[in-house]
Amino acid sequence: MATPVPVLRLPKGPDPNSRGFDPKSPRYISLCRTSISSSAVSDADSEELQREQHARSVLRERFLRCLLAMANKKVHFHMFEKVKVEATFGASDIDVLNFQVSDLHTPIGVQKEALIRCQDVISLTFDL
Amino acid sequence: MAMRQTPLTCSGHTRPVVDLAFSGITPYGYFLISACKDGKPMLRQGDTGDWIGTFLGHKGAVWGATLNTDATKAATAAADFTAKVWDAVSGDEVLTLAHKHIVKTVSFTQDSNCLLTGGNDKLLRIYDLSNPEAAPQEIAGHTSAIKKALWCNDDKQILSAAEDKTIRLWDRSSMEEVKTLSFDTSVSSMEYMSDGEILVITYGKTIAFYNALSLELIKTVEAPAPINSASLHPEKDFFVAGGDDFKLYKFDYSTKEELESYKGHFGPVHCVRFSPDGELYASGSEDGTLRLWQTAVGKTYGLWKCVLPGYTASILKSTVSIFLGIYSNADIAEVHFCFFFSFFVYI
Repeated sequence: MATPVPVLRLPKGPDPNSRGFDPKSPRYISLCRTSISSSAVSDADSEELQREQHARSVLRERFLRCLLAMANKKVHFHMFEKVKVEATFGASDIDVLNFQVSDLHTPIGVQKEALIRCQDVISLTFDL
Repeated sequence: MAMRQTPLTCSGHTRPVVDLAFSGITPYGYFLISACKDGKPMLRQGDTGDWIGTFLGHKGAVWGATLNTDATKAATAAADFTAKVWDAVSGDEVLTLAHKHIVKTVSFTQDSNCLLTGGNDKLLRIYDLSNPEAAPQEIAGHTSAIKKALWCNDDKQILSAAEDKTIRLWDRSSMEEVKTLSFDTSVSSMEYMSDGEILVITYGKTIAFYNALSLELIKTVEAPAPINSASLHPEKDFFVAGGDDFKLYKFDYSTKEELESYKGHFGPVHCVRFSPDGELYASGSEDGTLRLWQTAVGKTYGLWKCVLPGYTASILKSTVSIFLGIYSNADIAEVHFCFFFSFFVYI
């Protein structure tokens, strides 16, 4: 009678809470670069990096405050293909992929509720 | 003492696994990517089957998946009419390449600079990944949906298999068809081995081996059941095949003799591939699982642990302790010896 080959354990299955790619794994740490090419790529000193990181966090905070301030205000969107529309801003989704807006004024009428795809937006303007 | 194969089951997919691919050997080991009809291809550590991450983004069944040699990039082909390129370290989507129909197959060149895609629109496309905005080069010729396309002959030529029952060899620079192989039935899978320029093709119950440069037949082997996929061992001494009868078959390449067959999957086997070091092979099935199988059954490798007398005794000792409660050392040693002895009698 043949015995089955013993195994140490079963292969680990997926984590139900995340999509994986553990940032603490040795492979990730050595191979992953910061997404925006910066002084991190050119191996600048940590002083430079710190200043850059500080600047990034300031800009990010400003952007988030901007989104908060826009809520329920009339916003003008400049988009690709010479599209200029106006709408009442509602909210953004977590990854800033879509903006939820109401009363979107388009050349073919007013859309009560709409989603604007962020990658199509060049710039937006609103009055504080 | 005969040992029975213990396949390692990798769960996680919720629908049939239709394609899988290994990377080359990297400083961090080698990796495995699986394409699944649930639209969520997964990256796993190749020697253990441990899940590393899931590539999220496709909106339809993923029909093809591949990794580049150093496992830094992944590419997937899906029913949502796109092929996507991913960063295989962070899991982020890097590029989406829109197509006009379901994309079935993707393949990187050795330098990972170009991506070959093919699908139901019957066209082969070559994308320059350093200039993804540029339109891809297109090769037309197949009269039906393309099932598999891959680079060969040091990325100078392309091999493609389609539902039109042909396999065509194309020259990359001239974009012209060099040779065509016609079959009576549709080819179910195609694998290319650059070392030795061997092409492994399956159709019906046949596994055929061709010279990839001349497309001359080397040999054919008949299996007991319709075969969906086959893979040749890197040292070319064995090949494995899996198909509609849910079993995995292992054959000797030189003698064409069937050496072993393994049951385990609960559905037809769609894809089977040897790891780059040849120590194991992975199979993907309609049952939604991937299974890893040892080439040399009983060898210590990955999660498989070789059996040694001392090791067996320690397992028995702990089992005996659980069942018999608290005993003095002498008692355990006696029972221990009896169990050990009878264990060997069984073998």
